[in-house]
Amino acid sequence: MSIRSRIFGVIGGVVVAAFLQTFVVIYLEGQRTKMTADLDRTLLQFENHNRLTRLVTELESAHRGYLLSGAPESRIEFEQLWSVYERTVTLLPQYVDDRDVQRRLRELDALVRDWHDTVAVPLIEAGREASDLAGTLLRESLPRMRAIRNDLDRLDIVVRDRLTNERQQASTQYLRITLVTLAIPALAIVMLLVLVAILARILLDPLAAVAQSARLISGGDFDVTLPEPRRDEIGALVRAFEDMSSAVQRRQRDLTDALSREREVSTMYATLRSKAEHEHARLLATISTVPAALVIYDAATGRIVLQNKAAESLIGQEPEDEAARQEHWQRYVATYRDGTACPREDWGPGRALRGEVVVGQELIVNHPDGRMIPILVSAAPLVNDQQQITGAVAAFQDITKLHEVDRLKSEFVSVVSHELRTPLTSIKGALQLLLDEIELPDPDHATLMGVALSNTDRLIRIINDILDISKIEAGKLELKVKVHEPKDLVRQSVESVAPIAEANGVALEPVVPADLPSVLVDSDRTIQAMVNLLSNALKYAPPKTAVTLEGSKLDDGFVQFAVIDHGPGIPPDKLDLLFQKFQQVDGPDTRRFRGTGLGLAITKALIEMQGGEVGVRSELGRGSVFTITVPVADAPVCPPS
Amino acid sequence: MKLLLAEDEPDVQLIARLALKKAGFQVVSVGNGVEVLARVIEERPDAILLDWMMPDMDGFETCRRLKADPATSAIPVIFLTAKVQESEVAKALALGAAGCIGKPFDALTLGQQVKAILQQ
Repeated sequence: MSIRSRIFGVIGGVVVAAFLQTFVVIYLEGQRTKMTADLDRTLLQFENHNRLTRLVTELESAHRGYLLSGAPESRIEFEQLWSVYERTVTLLPQYVDDRDVQRRLRELDALVRDWHDTVAVPLIEAGREASDLAGTLLRESLPRMRAIRNDLDRLDIVVRDRLTNERQQASTQYLRITLVTLAIPALAIVMLLVLVAILARILLDPLAAVAQSARLISGGDFDVTLPEPRRDEIGALVRAFEDMSSAVQRRQRDLTDALSREREVSTMYATLRSKAEHEHARLLATISTVPAALVIYDAATGRIVLQNKAAESLIGQEPEDEAARQEHWQRYVATYRDGTACPREDWGPGRALRGEVVVGQELIVNHPDGRMIPILVSAAPLVNDQQQITGAVAAFQDITKLHEVDRLKSEFVSVVSHELRTPLTSIKGALQLLLDEIELPDPDHATLMGVALSNTDRLIRIINDILDISKIEAGKLELKVKVHEPKDLVRQSVESVAPIAEANGVALEPVVPADLPSVLVDSDRTIQAMVNLLSNALKYAPPKTAVTLEGSKLDDGFVQFAVIDHGPGIPPDKLDLLFQKFQQVDGPDTRRFRGTGLGLAITKALIEMQGGEVGVRSELGRGSVFTITVPVADAPVCPPS
Repeated sequence: MKLLLAEDEPDVQLIARLALKKAGFQVVSVGNGVEVLARVIEERPDAILLDWMMPDMDGFETCRRLKADPATSAIPVIFLTAKVQESEVAKALALGAAGCIGKPFDALTLGQQVKAILQQ
């Protein structure tokens, strides 16, 4: 049931009760009025009765007086009293409602009239002469009078009783009315209290509980006990409040979660940030410490955004002003090692900003202070998540000292090699001349002399290789490039290794098509390259197999010479290393075939210096094919003079 | 045929002398350029073999002086040099040298190489 209907019910009840009380009061008031009227009437009756009694007494007294005195005044008085009596008796019954009293009055009246008619009047008529008679009558009048008095007394008692009774009733009734009248406000107060209590119970308590809960919730305490939900507005309120509370709690929880997540994130962010800052500081410290000049460029402007001390001492501080900046950079002129100019956009950083990774670009920078500084430039683009180039990082390494060391090394190697070669030349010459001059009787001696000579040759070859490679590395190897016939080069190469082939029991098969064009090469160096390849092939070729040197024309203006063997082949993982210095397919510990490991490196360098290429393909167990290419001569060969 | 051989390294000088003698040359050997200039008038060789690098006076300077003196400028000069480099050879030829033989030379073919150069 809803509170509204309850309240209306209670108020309706109160209104009805108030009406009822009013009716009760009105009724009681009517009763009281009636009772007062009764009492008044009884009092009047009582007074009339007294009056009647007095009249009777006075009447008798006047009668007696007349009789005794015979004075006419007494007789007039008697007759006047009598008329008063008659009037009074006539009037009296209308004030009397009690039948018993009326009856008594009538009886009394009869007695009085009887006395009057039979005693009093005859006595008066008789006058003084009949005094004896009168005495007799007097004697008769007295008992009658006594009876009348008795009646009057009894009536008096009745009326008195009745008055007393009525008075008692009236006072009781007053008391009752007073009590009832007093009870009404008391009842009203009680009803009000009950109403308040009911209202409090059904309205205020749950509201207070909800308010208390609201206070607790606003303080963050969601562990509240709400009144049991009822099926009324308060119930609806409680349920709504519960919903709100749980919604708030949910929000609060969400908010707390979100806050804690955010706190977590911000903590993580702070940690990452400090880590990043730490890393950044470390990186900056590292960058500033490394001896190489490190520079970071911005892709949008091409400007330097970060550089270390080494970079600043090498390329100075880039000016802010664009014109000054251009001027600044114009003072730095760079050339490649061969002396050709390198425009600034082709410097490592410039290429890196175009997305290229530059490793070991050698430049010679003409520094504004007059120095010629050889630098090694490495640069790489900086790419963001969207694969866009945002900048470039570049390292400039001043390799002046490196060049100096390299030069000293080359010089040292050169000097040492010369110093080694001079005595070796003497030994070789001496042995050659000796072997040519004399006949050794003991064949073993001749063999020993041969061993000495061949090892001298090998030592000279090794030293020559070392000299060659040091020259190549120093850029001091000079080529005598002329037009040559491939068949001549092949013939000379084959001739120089023929003794080895013969000694190893391997067939040498030169294949030179007649239509091969002339080539533009340094013949000595090309032959050296071919001999290197042939020597290697012969070294690894099993006996009774063939090593082929095959010339062929390529489409791109080159002639290729391929050295084909049927040896053990080369593992694929070693192929890339073959043309590097000091590399042999066998490791240093398991070298079956001795050598410096320089031959192929020299071959590659010699061929590449002439514009050609070297290549190799191999299959384990099937053999290897080494190729070199040399450029075709544009001009026809002049006939030998 | 008489050759004046200038080589500062005694062993190499000996080998060269023996190799040339074996090839039929008459060889007068000296240790440096100063000696060459001192002996050249007296010996009147058919050709002079000069080591490129020698103490006191190197082959280059010796050659320059020989060619500068009308009395000796006609005598062919052959360089013995380890620096078989185009630039060196070109320099030698520019001085009026007849040719270059690379060191280390082959003792068995040295004589033939000298003959080949002189025949050009």
